[in-house]
Amino acid sequence: MSAAATETTAGSSPAGTSAAARTARRYGSFALRRTGQALVVIALAYVLVFLVLAAIPGDPISAQLDNPQNGYSEEEKAQIRAFHGLDRPVLVQLLVSLGNALRGELGTSMSTSQPVAAMIGEAIPSTLALAVTALALAILLAAVLGLLSRLLPEGPLNSLVRSLPAAFLSTPNFLIGLVLIQVLAVNLGLFSLVEPESARSTLVAALTLAIPVSAQIAQVFITALDESSGQDYAEVALSRGLPPVQVVLRHLLRPSLLPTVTVVGLVLGEVLGGSLITETIFGRAGVGTVVQKAVSSQDVPVLLAAVVLSATVFVMVNLVIDLLYPLLDPRLRVGKESR
Amino acid sequence: MSTAVLTPGLRAGAQPRTAAGARPPATVLLSAAVILLVLAWSIAPGLFTGHDPAVGVPDDKFIAPGAQHWLGTDHLGRDLLTRIVHGSASSMTSALIAVAIGVAVGGALGLVGGYLGGWVDAVIGRVVDVLLAIPGFLLAVVVVTALGYDTRNAAIATGVSAVAVFARLMRSEVLRVRTSVFIEAARISGGSSTYVLLRHVLPNALRPVLSLAVLQFGIAILVIAGLAFLGYGDPPPASDWGLLVSDGREHLLHAPWLVLAPGLVIAVVVLSVSRLSRHLDQGRNR
Repeated sequence: MSAAATETTAGSSPAGTSAAARTARRYGSFALRRTGQALVVIALAYVLVFLVLAAIPGDPISAQLDNPQNGYSEEEKAQIRAFHGLDRPVLVQLLVSLGNALRGELGTSMSTSQPVAAMIGEAIPSTLALAVTALALAILLAAVLGLLSRLLPEGPLNSLVRSLPAAFLSTPNFLIGLVLIQVLAVNLGLFSLVEPESARSTLVAALTLAIPVSAQIAQVFITALDESSGQDYAEVALSRGLPPVQVVLRHLLRPSLLPTVTVVGLVLGEVLGGSLITETIFGRAGVGTVVQKAVSSQDVPVLLAAVVLSATVFVMVNLVIDLLYPLLDPRLRVGKESR
Repeated sequence: MSTAVLTPGLRAGAQPRTAAGARPPATVLLSAAVILLVLAWSIAPGLFTGHDPAVGVPDDKFIAPGAQHWLGTDHLGRDLLTRIVHGSASSMTSALIAVAIGVAVGGALGLVGGYLGGWVDAVIGRVVDVLLAIPGFLLAVVVVTALGYDTRNAAIATGVSAVAVFARLMRSEVLRVRTSVFIEAARISGGSSTYVLLRHVLPNALRPVLSLAVLQFGIAILVIAGLAFLGYGDPPPASDWGLLVSDGREHLLHAPWLVLAPGLVIAVVVLSVSRLSRHLDQGRNR
């Protein structure tokens, strides 16, 4: 994902406005190309999901229409099929659907007859609250684990901290969710499952999601901290008598943040995918629940839109991170001048 | 759960590197023992339990874990340990299928793209980008929806969601190997493209891919358990581990062991697999 990192090399650059302008132009064309790539990927993701879902044998509409109890005439059947575009070849359906999606029209749900955009739009706030809280908690947890791994003296406690990410990552998130519900809601009565969207409930659901996600961030963060602590400047700082806390905060943290930012973008996929199970367990009315209902009723337009929405969010956030990368890392900023 | 990000992280530098030939650390031996035990469960479940996994004794329902029933019984009086043991074959086989698909399809894509380069690599690269763009678990859900709900299809769906990770790793390994002197030599001495690819490039690029495969095996167990939990696997009375947790959910209040025991079995097995993978990975860096 960090195309910028591979495309530019560190080097000295002659100072001057023309150099700066050249850098800006290079960055501009890099940004443009990278954005174009992201848009193509999203469009292709739409095509892929569409084609996979086109393989579903049957659909809820035909099942209802062909039920003799509903008593549709052949003419009505044809009309309804034509409304949903089911009478045309798959490739035509794909082009029409893609064209409509580009204009922001996501079609109509096959099982509820509601507009897809409205169904998903209603679910977004719940998922957004969950995902943002989960990501924030995950970053916090990973930061604590990372700093502890550096600050605790070598020994059993340090090993424990270092082995926690692997343990977090191995625990199924439905187990984490159910245990949290049992302990926090049932035993301690800290929140109520009757109000799944309340702040407390959201916090616990987010914690469920955050635990495995924090593990991935922590693993990268800990490795990066370990690597920078082996660098000369870190040893010099220590030998000058700086306390370890200061060495970590002033010398190790900044270089370790870059790979960590990259991984935060990548784990967003886990947050979006994991929200499916988490929302189900906590009974939240979010996008994950919409996906689950769409799956069980084989509601293709809703499923397609929800999955492509997740892919779009994922790709866009990673695009922003990629575009920020050269701006965050001074070595990449002066970049290509030396070539 | 896509895990491109895992590989570098797992190579945490802090563990003391054991010298070549030394005995592996205790945690690795323990992990290997756990995996051997579960493999034995899968192959010969009858050896480990005397109960019937599908038929229970109604009078014995909801017995807490104890000497008679080590992990307790469920709402039909079925022994939970028996159900877990009999469910392991399905859980392990499907994870194996998923990883096999990931390695075979992803590996082939990465091998061909990395070796041929040019437009082939560009096309494969876009496909991989697209697969990576869709959150892994959602992709698995979409594929299993299209194929129909059963455990075999859940395994295939999980495999599809792992293809991209393998393709990317294989490609980078091939690029690393391709420029080596011995590949150059094999080509100059007249080896055909296919011959050089299969005989020289593949074996040298394989090791890290296998280490990733072990890691992905653990992740596949989790994804398949997640799909089974949501009801996209075989229906009851199958006893896939994820399904057991989902069944136990209704009785969480008065029989928490029905959720905890299968859940913890999943966690311990996945943890053991990831410990082994990390050990293999360290071996490579040595």
